[in-house]
Amino acid sequence: MLVSPALLIVTFVVFIPVIEAILMSFQNYDLRRPNDIGFIGLGNFIAIINDPQFWQAVKNTLIWVIAGVGLQFFFGFILALLLNQPFRGRGVVRAVSLIPWATPGVLIGLMWKWIYDGNYGVLNDLMYKLHFIDQFIPFLSQTSTAFPSVIVTIIWQGIPFFAIMILAGLQGISQEMYEAADIDGASRMQKLFRITIPSLKNVIFITLLLRIIWVSNSVDIIYNMTGGGPSYSTQTLSVYIFNKATVLNLGYSSGMAIILMLLLSIVAIPYLRKSFKEG
Amino acid sequence: MRKSKLKRRRIFSLYVPITTILLFLLFPFYWTFVTSIKPELELYGPTVTYWPQNFTMESYRSLFSEFEFLKPMFNSFLVATITTFVTLFVSTLAAYSFTRFEFVGKRILMGLFLTNNMFPNVLLLIPLYSIMRNANLLYTPLSLVIAYATFTIPFSVWMLTGYLKDLPSSLEEAAMIDGANRAVAFIRIILPVLTPSIIATGVYIFIQSWNEYTFAVLFTNEDSRTIPVALKNLIGQLGVQWDLLTAGGIITIIPVCIMFFFAQKKLIEGMTSGSVKG
Amino acid sequence: MKKLFGLLLLLILSVGLVACSSKEVSNSGDGDADTGTDTPSSSDSSDTADSGEDGATITYWYWADNTEYSNKMQEIIKEFNETNDKGITVVGEEYPWDGGGYSETLFTAAMGGGGPDVSSFKLTSTPQFVANGLLANLDNFIADWDDKGDINDNLYNVMKQASGSENIYVMPWNTQILYVYYRPSIFEEADVEVPTTYEEFLTAIEKTTLDRNDDGRTDVYGFGMRGAKGGQEPWGSFIHGRGGSFEDMTTEESIAGMKDFVNLYEQGYVPPTATTDGFNEIIANFKSGRTAMTIHHTGSSAEMVETFGDDVSAFAFPPGEGQWTSMGDTENVIFESSKNKEAAFEWVSYLATGKGQEEWTIATGNVPVSKKVQALDHFQNDRFMKASIDGASYAGILPILDTTTEWINTIWPNTIASSLMGDITPEEAMNTLQEELYK
Repeated sequence: MLVSPALLIVTFVVFIPVIEAILMSFQNYDLRRPNDIGFIGLGNFIAIINDPQFWQAVKNTLIWVIAGVGLQFFFGFILALLLNQPFRGRGVVRAVSLIPWATPGVLIGLMWKWIYDGNYGVLNDLMYKLHFIDQFIPFLSQTSTAFPSVIVTIIWQGIPFFAIMILAGLQGISQEMYEAADIDGASRMQKLFRITIPSLKNVIFITLLLRIIWVSNSVDIIYNMTGGGPSYSTQTLSVYIFNKATVLNLGYSSGMAIILMLLLSIVAIPYLRKSFKEG
Repeated sequence: MRKSKLKRRRIFSLYVPITTILLFLLFPFYWTFVTSIKPELELYGPTVTYWPQNFTMESYRSLFSEFEFLKPMFNSFLVATITTFVTLFVSTLAAYSFTRFEFVGKRILMGLFLTNNMFPNVLLLIPLYSIMRNANLLYTPLSLVIAYATFTIPFSVWMLTGYLKDLPSSLEEAAMIDGANRAVAFIRIILPVLTPSIIATGVYIFIQSWNEYTFAVLFTNEDSRTIPVALKNLIGQLGVQWDLLTAGGIITIIPVCIMFFFAQKKLIEGMTSGSVKG
Repeated sequence: MKKLFGLLLLLILSVGLVACSSKEVSNSGDGDADTGTDTPSSSDSSDTADSGEDGATITYWYWADNTEYSNKMQEIIKEFNETNDKGITVVGEEYPWDGGGYSETLFTAAMGGGGPDVSSFKLTSTPQFVANGLLANLDNFIADWDDKGDINDNLYNVMKQASGSENIYVMPWNTQILYVYYRPSIFEEADVEVPTTYEEFLTAIEKTTLDRNDDGRTDVYGFGMRGAKGGQEPWGSFIHGRGGSFEDMTTEESIAGMKDFVNLYEQGYVPPTATTDGFNEIIANFKSGRTAMTIHHTGSSAEMVETFGDDVSAFAFPPGEGQWTSMGDTENVIFESSKNKEAAFEWVSYLATGKGQEEWTIATGNVPVSKKVQALDHFQNDRFMKASIDGASYAGILPILDTTTEWINTIWPNTIASSLMGDITPEEAMNTLQEELYK
């Protein structure tokens, strides 16, 4: 009974559009040519599989998610542990570490683009002054550096998310366990791996899962920084879907959206299974 | 001797890493701020300046006087606050029932909740727009609340489920043995312990609705514009108005941080107060 | 208290949702049918309007390129509301340009059965709006219009071409003709004259690329190349400079133009960021003195003069085997769903040939479409306007097909970037560009 309000809202508002979109993926649904719209079976999916850009996008998505979420989690976890220790000014430090996450996506893209700028960018200037480089690097303008650059940006944005979520989880661990471990003479690392991480198991799994879904679907940072270029080198699946959808080839992008959903399910389902068996 | 060694250890295990991470997290913010107080000529000057040679607060003045930035700020605040409360209320109950009761279709429900966040928004825009229009909600803050809630509720239910599962269930059982019924046990025992998690989830919901653009541009008009749309209005075909945009960004971020500064105290209170009562 | 509030809100939500979902079902079943000419009947924009045409209220969506223009538009609207004799009230609503996302927002709203009565518009979006029956046919309005002759016939033809029919759906408003900005002082330093042919232009780019102190770092690049979205416009001039065309981009001539373009990048005559440089970057590089020339229109002339005073001037893109420059455009459209089309036409014609035309083009520096306004002293005595008007005779637009938007948004920038970086040859690039445009 307690679930019903949540269910009601989600069902009515989102499921109808989602089902419509799924239906579109089996049609030649291109609003630029509304008269040609018709059922084409698996036509979109066959075209997608034969599209080299699609495979490049899949590869990019994997890198984007693994490197992006992985490092966000790593640094976020460390930050959470640090912020959990008492020190002077902790409240302020906690508040300001939220900044990257609180920054609007529009601004994130533009500011980082500005930082990376190949002519006036502060990153180039700093590296030049420190004699790391002798020519400015056009970070976002060449295929070799563009993708790593946008990944650094998503890492920057996601660290506070993990830090705060894990910090909240840390409050649920009872102090008695640590006290007992202290009596046994456990080292800090032992405490971390024997107590902290196991007690946060569910929170870690769920934050990772949700963040993977979120990051693999995120468009605004890449879109505002590179638009997927140069030469499609920063085009992830979600950006490709976005690009195709904004030029109204909705059938094709729905098809890719479904593939993305299936890919994400591969990550999600084993977890779902496991967690409910235990419960 | 011992004390100074301890202190040195603290420097390496706490201050050094935290300063490094903070530098990385805060530098872009600093750069945004510096940009907002630089005159445009200096932005594209021959040398990069780390503090403006000619300091100007003009952008902040015009943001509030000519640009009426307070209005979108109020709208964003309204939408984000309502969304946060609605979502938290609904999802706390849902998460609790997901972890404490067994019922048919539970797994499917949780799965469905996830799929809706897996699907790209851009494909849902036309149907969602027409739903809002038919419900006569278009251009009201409520349309955004509904749109955001549909995405934040599944997320929050999952988040809170995770936290609830990590809580020792002995807490609640102890209370119930004492003769309290489930509702009382929930309010008196679980809720206080869950406070940090609720706060953290609330922060997520608030930020998400505070910064969302795609729905906001469609479901609002001049009167109900939210911050991201107002900011994006500053980027035209003829380039970015850096001064106004960055000033607007700074003003957007600061209230969130101040609010979080007060909320974060609750983040650490939870466990202690909970165990006292338990 | 909070909970009570939450509950209450929820109740309202659920009631609203149930009500709307029942409507939605009836509406969503006919996905194919309502893409025809009969857009959903009710238009919320006219909810507030009176039934008659007199005293009508119409909504107008527009984007503004900066805060000044935004204020200007509000002024024009206010003036129109006060002075028009039919009691029409225009309600202006600004939407973000969003790098062209404006058109998508507009399309989504219109397809969802909402949207404004009138909106500012880019010609490239015409095919998709017309194909879905969203725009009102303006033929009859224009035929009965007193000021019809104040706009060049050529412009009407461009509007017809864009719709792919003999009908006009788009009302001209203002144009921008691209020309080359240059810095006389750098030309002097490099001992270069203003080029009069395409070949000379290429040489000038090479010569104005300067390493002033011989430290191996280029101080001034000859040309600010635009490789990001929008760059197809100046690029087109190179293709035509060798006698190529958009109709067939795989001819020897077209490919020769492309090779020139790639060569500029490979030789380092343009900034290494060219693959992703957009409007912002080319203007910033020019204004900071990092480039000697760049291609843009009068929209940026005011700030150029503000930066350089007399040390900036312009010439029209010089002729080679062929000659072409891009005509940018901004129009207005009336939506089929509008209930007050008469009133809407009053407004768009006020912007096209009335006081609105004069005020807007003077404020923005765009080229007017009204002959009356073009004849004003303000436009006759301006060195940048002159370069625009010099280019007008050979100015053109990219073929407007239903594939054009995608071609401009992703195909062109990515293909060009690959080619500049040497991942594909100019021939391969041109083949892709040809195939994707005429798909």
